[in-house]
Amino acid sequence: MSEPGDFRDQVRTWCREHVPAGWREAQTGVGEDGFVAFQQAWFRELRDAGWAVPHWPAEWGGGMPVAEQVVLYQELAAHDAPRLVLAFVSIHHAAATLLGAGTDEQRRRHLPAILDGEIWCQGFSEPEAGSDLASLRTTARREGDRYVVNGQKLWASGARHADRCLLLARTDPSAPKHKGISYFLLDMRSPGLDVRPIRNAIGDSHFCEVFLDDVEIPATDLIGPENDGWRIAQKTLSAERGLTMLELAERLAGGFRWLLDDCARPGAGGARPIDDPVVRDRLAAFETELTGVRALCRDLVERSEAGRAGPADASIVKLAYSELLQRLTGFAADVGGLDAHARAARPLSSGWESGAWVVDYVGSWEWTIPGGSSEIQRTIIGERGLGLPREPSVP
Amino acid sequence: MRFAELHDDLRAVARDALAGASPLVAGGDPAPVDPAVLAGTGWLGLEVPEDLGGAGATFAETAVVLEELGRAAAASHFLGAVLAVGALRLVEPSPGRDALLAGVAAGQIAAALALPTGAGDGMAGGPPFRVDRDGGDARVVGRATFVPDAVAADRLLLVAHDPAVGPVLVDVTPGAGVVVEPTPVVDPTRSFAEVAAGGAAADDGRVWRFAEDPRGLLARGALAVALDSLGLAEAALDATVAYASVRTQFGRPIGSFQAVKHACADTRVELALARQLVLHAVDAVAGGATGADDAVSMAKAYATEAAVAATGRAVQLHGGIGYTWEHGLHAYLKRAALNRSLFGSPAGHRARLARRYGAR
Repeated sequence: MSEPGDFRDQVRTWCREHVPAGWREAQTGVGEDGFVAFQQAWFRELRDAGWAVPHWPAEWGGGMPVAEQVVLYQELAAHDAPRLVLAFVSIHHAAATLLGAGTDEQRRRHLPAILDGEIWCQGFSEPEAGSDLASLRTTARREGDRYVVNGQKLWASGARHADRCLLLARTDPSAPKHKGISYFLLDMRSPGLDVRPIRNAIGDSHFCEVFLDDVEIPATDLIGPENDGWRIAQKTLSAERGLTMLELAERLAGGFRWLLDDCARPGAGGARPIDDPVVRDRLAAFETELTGVRALCRDLVERSEAGRAGPADASIVKLAYSELLQRLTGFAADVGGLDAHARAARPLSSGWESGAWVVDYVGSWEWTIPGGSSEIQRTIIGERGLGLPREPSVP
Repeated sequence: MRFAELHDDLRAVARDALAGASPLVAGGDPAPVDPAVLAGTGWLGLEVPEDLGGAGATFAETAVVLEELGRAAAASHFLGAVLAVGALRLVEPSPGRDALLAGVAAGQIAAALALPTGAGDGMAGGPPFRVDRDGGDARVVGRATFVPDAVAADRLLLVAHDPAVGPVLVDVTPGAGVVVEPTPVVDPTRSFAEVAAGGAAADDGRVWRFAEDPRGLLARGALAVALDSLGLAEAALDATVAYASVRTQFGRPIGSFQAVKHACADTRVELALARQLVLHAVDAVAGGATGADDAVSMAKAYATEAAVAATGRAVQLHGGIGYTWEHGLHAYLKRAALNRSLFGSPAGHRARLARRYGAR
């Protein structure tokens, strides 16, 4: 990949001028409103610079060459910029779905709106449909020019603040489970919706339950053909994984630098962890693995761009990143001793490695469980990547 | 330039030529690759300049062959030749050096390089040999252990310190004051010897001054081994997937059980990561990039450990058949374990990397 040096300088200069000083302190322990306002302001900053949606096609406001996107994410991470947490689903999953399966009319309606700050969430999982997502039970019944939806969604991150929801619902109960699902662009202001936050293991409440009681969705908000939702969701989700993982891996590299700094400070007994050969060995092992994961992400981005990504490549990257995150934050919590346990809050808008290592460690299960758990990823890698025989399905 | 994308032909030829050499095909007592194959394919001369009968290529091309030799866990003297050619390219040109390079490229001369293979920083205390000029005639003294492919070598290249000029390469013929004592190892596919020089004559025309730091040869060796490990681990995974897809127990192919499938997936992930680290190091070494040593240490540490894990899982998932001598899989496990120790242990390479943290 070529190294666009001028662009790197441009991003560096911009970061020095625009990354809000002291945002970490200000966002630690901040309330929900403060978080949302901060996210929206940061999104506008990036958008005005032309860097909120670099991965979109040029006609919709993106068009940045992949080599420059890599630089952009590297520099944002290196300058410890806030992450776009609230807009994550909007700019990645929603946009990929609209671009991959939407009509021109749907794109015109939503892509500019996302640039104006429209927030999306994802309504996929259900209480009885987690890893076995295709067994979802929420139904959408066609009535004239609309669908009537009933059911319950779970783990819809950011649903309290969302304007729209990417919704999977069953439209043909008699079809095989993968063949009877449709994909909708649900308006979160629709009557019959009830959104309730769920407090997660680290005390955050961004996950929500969404109850749908006779919610009406106009037929024009169906995306792709009826009953083709499962295929579309699979395709658009994995297509997005390269760049989103690349950003996260670059962030983790920043986290590794903090870990080095932490290890260079004297611990409880006065000794510096970094002088311990065992710690040094582990640090070098993490640096090595991190270097490999970053390269793997860049490689996936390049091959996706060239249409040469393998069927399990996104799973390989997700598994490699999430398990590295878990082990690295776990090691940092260990080497940090009891002092690490006294840092009980991390700033919102940070990456998954904030330096509050114990919180980061517990929070790392948010990567090994959602989006296809590590076990599901291993099955995908085994079956689609290696071609191993499928598990016999239970009738 | 990514070698993986540019060298499909070289790879295809190598895979075809070496398939029969694999212990997985030939069994637990594999014959070495026919030297005529190594010469006839031009592999020995890949990095030799064209005017000396070589291909004038780079380490990126050699890397393809190294990975494929690993894939076949092939017994050959290619590693010795790769190290010898690497050393000869680092010394100043001379008629003697040029003739030797041409002979190696043509497959007429088997050469081995005596340098410390046990540690990543094996030359930290200086080269293993020294040139002694006290009595008038120059003589070379010293000893190196675990020298790859020295047993069958026609010529031995000794990395030596010459008080008159600094680091030199001394070209000697086994027997003339140079003792080559074979060192049998558990791995049946590799050959090592201890090389001891107790005052062999260092002829003027056969002492060549290094134009570049000879310590780069250790990185070359380490990366060659990492490539070998990558290839052999991929082969062990392929064999395991193939076996688990047809071996039936409890009425199902064993590969349909998650315990088996997930173990294969873990190998797949680790090798994907290892490949990235190795590719990066090959790019750095072939391009002479600064920081190449760091990239090599990462590749060597990670890939050789991943290969031991991969071959160990392969034996486990093959069950009893994989533990038999005849099956040949044990040769992969042994070679993977040997590679882990050759040219510096993973812990040694990580200690090297960690020295960069010291300035904090």
